[in-house]
Amino acid sequence: MIAHMLRPQSAESPWREPVIMAVVAVVMITLPWILPYVGGYPELATRILIWGIFALGFDLLVGFTGYLSFGHAAFWGIGAYCAGFYLLHGGMNALPAIIIGVVAATAISVLLGYLALRRYGIYFAILTLAFAEMFYYAALAPLQDWTGGDNGLTGIPTPVLAGIPLKGEVIHYFVVACAFLAVYFARRIVRSPFGLMLRAIKSNETRLRFTGINVYRYKVAAFVISGLYSGLAGTLYAIYETYVPTESLHWVTSGKVVMMSVIGGLGTLFGPMVGAGVVLYLEDVLSASTEQWLLIQGLIFMAFVVFLPGGVMEGLHRILSWIAWRRTDLPEIEGRRQAREGAHGAAPLQQRSR
Amino acid sequence: MALLEASGVTKRFAGLTALDHVDLQVEEGSVHSIIGPNGAGKSTLLNVLTGSIRPDGGTILFDGQSLISRPPYEINQLGIARVFQSPEIFPELRLVDNVTIAALAARDGSFRLNALQHPRRRGEVRDLAEEVLADVGLKEYARFVAKHLSRGDKRRLELAICLAHRPRLLLLDEPTAGMSHAETHSTVELLKKISEMGMTKIIIEHDMDVVFTLSSRITVLHQGRVIADGAPEQIRGDEAVQEAYLGGAHL
Amino acid sequence: MTTGSLLLQLLTGLQFGAIYVLIALGLTLIFGTLGVANFAHGALFMIGAYLGWLISSATGYWLAFVLVPLLLFALGIVMERGLVQFFYRRPVTDQILVTFGLALVLQEVVRWMFGGTTKPFPPPSWALVPVNIGIGYYPPWRLVIIGVTIAIVVLLFLVLRYTRFGLVIRAGMRDPEMLRFLGINVSNRFTFVFGLGALLAGIAGVIGGPTTAVNPEIGMAMLVPSFLVVVIGGMGSLPGAILAGILMGEAVSLSVLIYPPIAQVIVYIVAAAVLLWRPRGLFGVKGVME
Repeated sequence: MIAHMLRPQSAESPWREPVIMAVVAVVMITLPWILPYVGGYPELATRILIWGIFALGFDLLVGFTGYLSFGHAAFWGIGAYCAGFYLLHGGMNALPAIIIGVVAATAISVLLGYLALRRYGIYFAILTLAFAEMFYYAALAPLQDWTGGDNGLTGIPTPVLAGIPLKGEVIHYFVVACAFLAVYFARRIVRSPFGLMLRAIKSNETRLRFTGINVYRYKVAAFVISGLYSGLAGTLYAIYETYVPTESLHWVTSGKVVMMSVIGGLGTLFGPMVGAGVVLYLEDVLSASTEQWLLIQGLIFMAFVVFLPGGVMEGLHRILSWIAWRRTDLPEIEGRRQAREGAHGAAPLQQRSR
Repeated sequence: MALLEASGVTKRFAGLTALDHVDLQVEEGSVHSIIGPNGAGKSTLLNVLTGSIRPDGGTILFDGQSLISRPPYEINQLGIARVFQSPEIFPELRLVDNVTIAALAARDGSFRLNALQHPRRRGEVRDLAEEVLADVGLKEYARFVAKHLSRGDKRRLELAICLAHRPRLLLLDEPTAGMSHAETHSTVELLKKISEMGMTKIIIEHDMDVVFTLSSRITVLHQGRVIADGAPEQIRGDEAVQEAYLGGAHL
Repeated sequence: MTTGSLLLQLLTGLQFGAIYVLIALGLTLIFGTLGVANFAHGALFMIGAYLGWLISSATGYWLAFVLVPLLLFALGIVMERGLVQFFYRRPVTDQILVTFGLALVLQEVVRWMFGGTTKPFPPPSWALVPVNIGIGYYPPWRLVIIGVTIAIVVLLFLVLRYTRFGLVIRAGMRDPEMLRFLGINVSNRFTFVFGLGALLAGIAGVIGGPTTAVNPEIGMAMLVPSFLVVVIGGMGSLPGAILAGILMGEAVSLSVLIYPPIAQVIVYIVAAAVLLWRPRGLFGVKGVME
């Protein structure tokens, strides 16, 4: 990108992070009030945040390591089913339900990550898709006594957290708290040395391997963190909806989080959350006026992949860069480019020896 | 004892013997070049030394430790760094981040789950990274993204990534391949400068000027076998070597 | 359970496998030659089944049998020229994403045009009457499927082995760069191969449609096991795809006999088992996608 090439990235001011998190908190809390003004409804906000956590976890893996998973529904669904099952048969306390859901999803992600990450690119995508489908079909038939089979898990009671039932406004604030923490930790992870290694994996895995890094372990760790986030999101989903449909494990759900993340912008953390908002909002608005909203969603997704693969975030970045470019002096740009070329006596074009 | 001792290294690929009982002794502090016509097995040897390929036979000892059956990252952590034929860097990241990654690998080892470590605690590592960039002459571009560097500058960056580890042995695979005259010259200067730091180097090269300028010892491979091994003057006059190269590069 | 019924079940396994093999062959051809994982391949099968239903409802089965593969060939060419060719230089993830998006769009377009209910797509009426094949009575259509698949496989091998075009394809599967240097027009070859893959999916759709359901979701439902067949067989290996397809087909068939609820899941269990034993697949070539 031209902007990156010309303008060295400046050091961070210590105020940047707290300000960003404050804005995030404000947006999350006020979302139920904003949505009705644009044709949505307050409950949509909670849904957007739940899917946002899912997309956030997805981005931590796909956006940063570059490994495209088509099976994240497995963690979402397992988290949802386990939490729902507990609430149906074990008790009404929200905390154990959440812990069980998250632990189950994380455990499965360790297993899946171990198996699938031995492969690359296409192999990896297919394997993740396949394993998720396995769970889906397992839930439909052999395990239907536990999962409710085709009907899903119905009639989940409203759980209670410290004596307070999680419904209405309470659950929204609870989800906001979870989402806020999710974003906070995601940002910490991404800015840590671990996060840098993930970006290195996406950039050039071979180089990383020969630079003393056990790449496989980093990939598995990223996969598991991603699975944890997805499991948490699925758990919240079960609690919020008090119902777990079988689709939770289906490729449709995996595809949905993929679409949200791509439309929002992979690798930006906020992008996929924005994407979740966009997709759910469109779904809500479109399904009222046409039966083909899934078709429209697919077309929008394809349009992004073809024309704007960086998603909404890339679009915003381009607009902002264009504005900044117009304001920079052209001679200054020329001068810098010549300085770079002149220093080592070669043109900036890459030459190949074979 | 030599820093790197390989003996009897053999590698076969589906009927083709790429390496046939190759012996190699690299002394600490030397610049040891491996030359030979195309297909001689030079790249295969390099791949075996860095752990990409497992040999079918032979032993390789680095400072007394066996390298066989170790994955590439372990070999790197032992102190061997590799420069690739086409410069392998992290193009989407800034130069300083490129080198910081290597410095972090040196500091934290092959895996550290420091996912919550605050960026501020990276100051030391970042200083080291900038120092190394200065050593290779890329300091002004520390905060630029690496993608748009020229090939020569990418080579420098790759060297910086390797050096951040303070390796004891540097393996270079045709470092001047595809470079213009000026770039080759500046690369050679840089390599000389690194030699002054006392680093041992193994270089695979086709450019004979570079080989004879830099090397303290040369091993010649031909069809998987070592046909000559010694000081540059010896190799220059060796008949077997000249015959192997007939029709190839000029000596 | 008699030997007879076991043998019949094994025969059915061959028939299941045959459909997987046809789809997997197309997938592996496209992947091996073009390097593209075509997530829309299942949708091609689905469209083949729908076209088969449409045409056979209007004019009887045999016209469908002839037309559908040709129509799918054309569709494959359109897809490659119109979309896929722009993604050859793009990262692998983008290729997967765009073909996945296409699969979704195609599925929804079909749902829009024909609704979501399963369409009845019967084979020719003689094929519905079970015939005595020595070990018992068996639906002839399944035999037709097996027969057609064997014929296609043999034809494919002959073409690849003994024609110049086949040589180019095989070379291209090993080293597409080399083809370019040799001055062979790779672009046309790519388009043709993609069309060929689609044609195979079309054949699978028109002969398999009567046995699988004809509804919008069938595309993706057939894609995942077929991809697994490709992975288990070894990416880019045609013999591998065939062997793996048979293996999967038998696994499904036998589980229907022994413990039906597992029938859908068994595919994945077998896949996991094979991959744990041989991570590169049965005939996987080292270096392909590693």
